[in-house]
Formats: sequence, structure tokens, C-alpha cells
Amino acid sequence: MNSILENIYGMTAISDIVANPGFIVMYLLAFVLLYLGIKKEYEPLLLIPIAFGVLIANFPGGGMGVNAVDGEGIVTLAVAAKDLANFEIGHCGVVDIIQPATDGAKGLVKFDIWNMTLPAIAHELGLMNFIYYMLIKTGFIPPIIFMGVGALTDFGPMLRNLKLAIFGAGAQFGIFAVLLIAAASGQFTMKEAASLSIIGGADGPTAIFTTIKLAPHMLGPIAIAAYSYMALVPVIIPLVVKLLCSEKELKINMKEQDKLYPSGTEFKNMRALKILFPIAVTVIVAILVPSAVSLVGMLMFGNLIKEIGANTSRIFDAASNSIMNAATIFLGLSVGATMTVEAFLNLQTIGIVVGGFFAFGLSIAGGICLVKIYNLIFKKKINPLIGATGLSAVPMASRVANDIALKYDSRNHVLNYCMSSNVSGVIGSAVAAGILISFLG
Amino acid sequence: MEGTLIEQAFTLMLVGMITVFAVLGLVIAMGNALIRFVNKYVPEEEAPAPKAAAPASAAIAPDVKSAIELAVAKITSNKGRIEKIEKI
Repeated sequence: MNSILENIYGMTAISDIVANPGFIVMYLLAFVLLYLGIKKEYEPLLLIPIAFGVLIANFPGGGMGVNAVDGEGIVTLAVAAKDLANFEIGHCGVVDIIQPATDGAKGLVKFDIWNMTLPAIAHELGLMNFIYYMLIKTGFIPPIIFMGVGALTDFGPMLRNLKLAIFGAGAQFGIFAVLLIAAASGQFTMKEAASLSIIGGADGPTAIFTTIKLAPHMLGPIAIAAYSYMALVPVIIPLVVKLLCSEKELKINMKEQDKLYPSGTEFKNMRALKILFPIAVTVIVAILVPSAVSLVGMLMFGNLIKEIGANTSRIFDAASNSIMNAATIFLGLSVGATMTVEAFLNLQTIGIVVGGFFAFGLSIAGGICLVKIYNLIFKKKINPLIGATGLSAVPMASRVANDIALKYDSRNHVLNYCMSSNVSGVIGSAVAAGILISFLG
Repeated sequence: MEGTLIEQAFTLMLVGMITVFAVLGLVIAMGNALIRFVNKYVPEEEAPAPKAAAPASAAIAPDVKSAIELAVAKITSNKGRIEKIEKI
């Protein structure tokens, strides 16, 4: 009778959970993220899959957690001593088997992940590793999501206020400033610092793409930080704006400035312009920063099929709905599943959370400061909120900036102007990611 | 080691910011060139479809129109389409 009970106890996850209370912390984290996604509606399309991924990844024996790969491509799997006999060196990518040191402890099986076939990954390491190594680790999903983002983006406001797009560059300052701070802290390697700093790009797919290339072991915390801070844009932007901008600056009315200093640009065929623009941007970025093409190229492709209209409406529909939605599910779940106890509960995670916040704040500040410099030099004044939205986080940043402007002057609608720097911020952060990858990858 | 890390980060910061400015600067210059090109060589609107909506939306300022478009796209997850905007 006792042995039956012992077998049942051994079959459930309870014994492992009791042995390692870290699991409880992960469940609490998953519940908090689920609460934020469901009840508070913080980026629910991503936070909920991520949170559920965290939850299912942390049940011992479930095999749904992503096994981290080390620098040499070795994945280590803890296996009960009695099951070690099922593995053989040389078969299914097994390179080493380590017997348990004591009775009751688990043995270790080491796999060379790059020499495993996909069916072997699915069979030996489970479904979630299969999804992760096939779709995420290969860098496949983020550009696919970028294609969907492109299909949902309108470059019209940017083309109408083209000069304002330069403020999307100023708002990439946070990325490089935090790279410097993280490197100086001595807690991170250069690649890790770069992955952490890209949170300042305020762009989920960009952050994930860069982290996969540079520091895949930090993927979970970085994705969570990036999406959490994006959800907190309505709190962070007003905070930084309050610190850096005067009431007089925030009252600058862009329409009045346009009347005082008209640009004189007229648009005789916006549709043709919107079709030509993504093609031309792709060519420019491809020539200058080839490593950013996978992101910017797919972004512009998605936008192109949207702008062409009826002739490509079917693939536009696929890119912006079915493909994007499926990609979002796989991305969210498997990114969540990378957050196992070993990968998440360490000092680096705290560094990522703090560093990510600074990257965000400094990016907003960078955009604002660039506007202030512009206002010192030129007669035509720009509302500093347009610099703040260079952060990307489209379109939430623009909506938040518009609300702030309306608070100071109920006639001052800056949404369209903000969208210009906001959309260019997406291109800017993808370019910054490309630079980091090409220098450090 | 730390010194070289900081040096490397500083270089990356310089190169990165200059490149981002250069790329977006070029995008702006290219955008302006495209506007001139389109205005000169393909000035007319080819799509006849929007004409039906044109009289109604003529009185709506373009920024108000795009704000409404953004709101509709957001609420309907990009499925909704505006056919007509009228002031009541």
C-alpha cells in the first residue's frame, strides 16, 4: 500500500515543488501577469500567452519548459536515474550522460541541439522546445510579427509631417545609454547588455529578435520587461514629460505653428506615394544596415501589401490577421516557457527590470531633448511631446501624448504629428537592433 | 576588461546614434524626393472609388479624419472600414 502511495506521490509534481520553492515564485509571477493581462488589460494579446507559458513551463515533469542552450549549443536535461538507460550517446543528439552523484538525485543528459533533428527535439525535449527551437530560436517569428505590424501601420501621418520623423532617431538614445551603463556595471557581458538595452526601443518583436541573436538565455525576462513597460507607457511618458517639460512647451500648438511657418508641401497622389515609400525605405535600410532588413524589410512588405489595396487584399488579410495571430500565440507561449526557475530567479533578472525601465525613460528623454535643441535653433517651435513619442510603442505612445497635450490646451490635437515620430521610431529601433546585431552578433 | 567593455559600448553608442540619425535622415530626404517625383510624374489620383465619399468628407479636416480612422481601426481590430464621415 505504501509503495503504491509513494508511486502516486512520485508521479505528481508535488515532490519536486516541495523540494524547490522557486516553483511557487514562478506560479505567483504567472498569476500576477495573468491578472495584469485579464483584469487590467495590459497588452492582453501578449501578456496572457506569456503568463500561461510561464505557468505550464514550471510544473516539474511536464516537459513544457524551454531548456536553455549554452554557448556551445549544449542543452542539459535532468532525468530520473531509472530513465537514464533510455539514452545512448550518439543517438538523437545525445553527447554525454552523467550518472546521479547520490541515490534519489537526478542524472543529466546532454544534447547537442544543433545536431538534433526536429522530430528528435520534439520527442526528447517536448513540444515547447520543438516550437521554441523551430520558430523562435531561428528568428522566424519576430519578422513575421513585424510583417503584421507593417500591415497595420499607416505611414500617411509620417509622410505628411516628414521632418518630425527625425525625432524617432533621438528617442533611440535610451538604448545606447543603457548599453553603456549596463556594460559599466560589470554585471553583463556586451551581448547581454545590448539585449537588455534594446528594451528602450519599446518594440516587443525587435527586443525578442535582438535577444535571440545575442543573449537567448535572457529572452524570457527581457520579453516580459519589454511588454510590461509598453503596457505602462500611459504612466511612464507622463512621468518623464513632467520631469523635463514646462507648461509653456506643452502648450505649443502645432497647427498654429504650421500656419505661421507653412511647409508648402502638397500631396497630389498620396496613394502612389504610400506604395513607393515602403519599397524605397527597404532599399535604403538594406544598403546601410543589412542586418536590420529582416525586421524593416518585413515591416515594409506588410505595409506595401496593405497600401496596394484590392489586388493584394487576400495576402494583406492573411498577414494582418491569421498569420499575425498564430505567430502571436506561438511567440507568447514559448517566450513564457523560457522562464523556468533556473532562467528567471537570478540577479540578472532584477538588472533587466531596472535597466529596462531606464532604457525606456532615457529614450523618451532623448526624444524630448532633441526637440528642445531644435526649438533653440529654429523659429518654428515643436511640441516636445512629439519627441517623447519617438519611442515607438505605436500607437499607444501617440494617444498618451495627445491626452497630455489636450490636458494643457483642449484645442491642441497633436496625435497626427506624434504618429510621425512614433512610426519612425519603429524604423529607428529596428535599425538600432540591426547595428547591435551586426557589431556583436 | 571593464575598461574595454565601456570603450566598446561608447563606440557602439556613437556609431549607433550616428547611423540611426543617418538612416532616418535619408528616409526623410528620400520621402521628400518621392513627394516631388509623385507630384511631377503621377499627380492624379487613380482610384475612382473614394469619389463617392469625397463630398461628405470634404468638410472634415484631414487630421480629424485620420484620428477617426485610427479609432475605428483600433476598435474593430482593423476590420472596420469607413465609408462616409458626416457632420451631424
